[in-house]
Amino acid sequence: MYNNVRKQAGMPRPPTNSQPNSFGNALYGTGSGLVGSGLGAYGEKLLGSSSEYVHSNVSRYFSDPQHYFQVNDHYVRNKLKVVLFPFLHKGHWTRTSEPVEGRLSYKPPIYDINAPDLYIPFMAFGTYVVLAGFSLGLQGKFSPEALNWLFIKGLLGWFLQVTLLKVTLLSLGSGEAPLLDVVAYAGYAFTGMCLAVLGSVIWGYSYYFLMPLTCLCMGIFLVRTMKRVLFAEVRSCDSSKLHYLLLCIALAQFPFFLWLGNIC
Amino acid sequence: MSKQFNVPPVIFPSGPGGDSGGPSSAAQRHPMPPFQPRPAATNPIPFMSFDVGSVAQSASFSAPQLGPTITSANPNFDDEPPLLEELGINTKHIWSKTISILNPLRPNPNLQSDADLSGPFLFFLAFGLFQLLAGKFHFGILLGWATISAVFLYIVFNMLAGRNGGLDLYRCLSLIGYSMLPMVILSALSLFVPQGGPVILVIAAAFVVWSTRVCARLLVEAASWNEHPGLVAYACFLIYTLFSLLVIF
Repeated sequence: MYNNVRKQAGMPRPPTNSQPNSFGNALYGTGSGLVGSGLGAYGEKLLGSSSEYVHSNVSRYFSDPQHYFQVNDHYVRNKLKVVLFPFLHKGHWTRTSEPVEGRLSYKPPIYDINAPDLYIPFMAFGTYVVLAGFSLGLQGKFSPEALNWLFIKGLLGWFLQVTLLKVTLLSLGSGEAPLLDVVAYAGYAFTGMCLAVLGSVIWGYSYYFLMPLTCLCMGIFLVRTMKRVLFAEVRSCDSSKLHYLLLCIALAQFPFFLWLGNIC
Repeated sequence: MSKQFNVPPVIFPSGPGGDSGGPSSAAQRHPMPPFQPRPAATNPIPFMSFDVGSVAQSASFSAPQLGPTITSANPNFDDEPPLLEELGINTKHIWSKTISILNPLRPNPNLQSDADLSGPFLFFLAFGLFQLLAGKFHFGILLGWATISAVFLYIVFNMLAGRNGGLDLYRCLSLIGYSMLPMVILSALSLFVPQGGPVILVIAAAFVVWSTRVCARLLVEAASWNEHPGLVAYACFLIYTLFSLLVIF
């Protein structure tokens, strides 16, 4: 339908959304998934009874979220190593793809270390909130309202990071990466931030060298990841603009980390 | 102390038109200004309109306070189930579930198969009361944080479990609430220990681990999905650390 038309219009590039069938299965197969049933019900209500039309329109904005939670311990450990110390990653950075039902799609995170997942960002965000509350408490400034503000600040920061990445994608390519992919990449920043806050809890001065270190690592990680994502999309050889934008992304990590990581 | 009150039954004379034709005929015959009592002749209003069997006996209006003296008016009052049973609060069951949680090594998951929220409600109330004794007024915070953490755990667990995830929000909240018991004990203990010191930190760490173990074990059994307990346990750990922060600081 609409998806196929859009796909044929461009070069081979990462698909905007998963296959409607798997999304449909996730919607109607997940036992009591709030997200699945919520999205399904909302879609049905808005767009009428044609399920194909529902899937293609709803899944245009949200690829199947279940795909991002197919993780296991091994993946989580290795991915944390890649995110926190990207310069140690010896392998390649491209995602492995597999042809599914005639369309190219990427393997789920359980099979591919380079695939983004949503489990780590969620957990990292939660850990950041908890650790920041702990650090506030050790300074004697804890109050539950302060923790609520930290939570909201963190969400806002995540949202800003997502817009930054999305704007970069849009300005260079056609911005076809799935939204949840971008959300996942942005959320990985919280792992570095957790490390910095943990360092500051253990020993106050370690914050001053852990913070630039994690900023740098996150910058490298994002640059390498976005380069892969963009290379799949960029049509003209506008490599200087590409490099400037990537540098911009890496540099923007510093104020971002300073704003969120400075708990005092 | 049972007094007998001789209450004369109040009987409204039923009008010629009866009930069905009452309102419309009233409108035709007497175009009355609004908010004036309509003549009772046209439309007898039954006071106990929810109790269909006793429309005419308006003595039932005062019956419930008098107890069994006027039983014919409200025949179901004696046969009503006791209040706790009607509300669905099974105190024996709550007690047995609570006792099973006290065993940190092996909570009994079969007891938790029917979820209820009254136990968790009691635990949160006790938690809030112990916090109040420590001078911190956290009831609203507890409500908000419990809701958010239940939704968080619900989303994460169902996404991880995929098709096999059979957890619904009610059971999730019930399990989180029951596993709060160690937190309640922690808040009671914290009253005797200096605030923010190393002692309370160590104790809190132990209790958080206890809560996490129980919650993760129960979750995995409740949804009958056993694949990545470590991943689910970390989410529970985050939740209980959050609540322990309230106690420690």
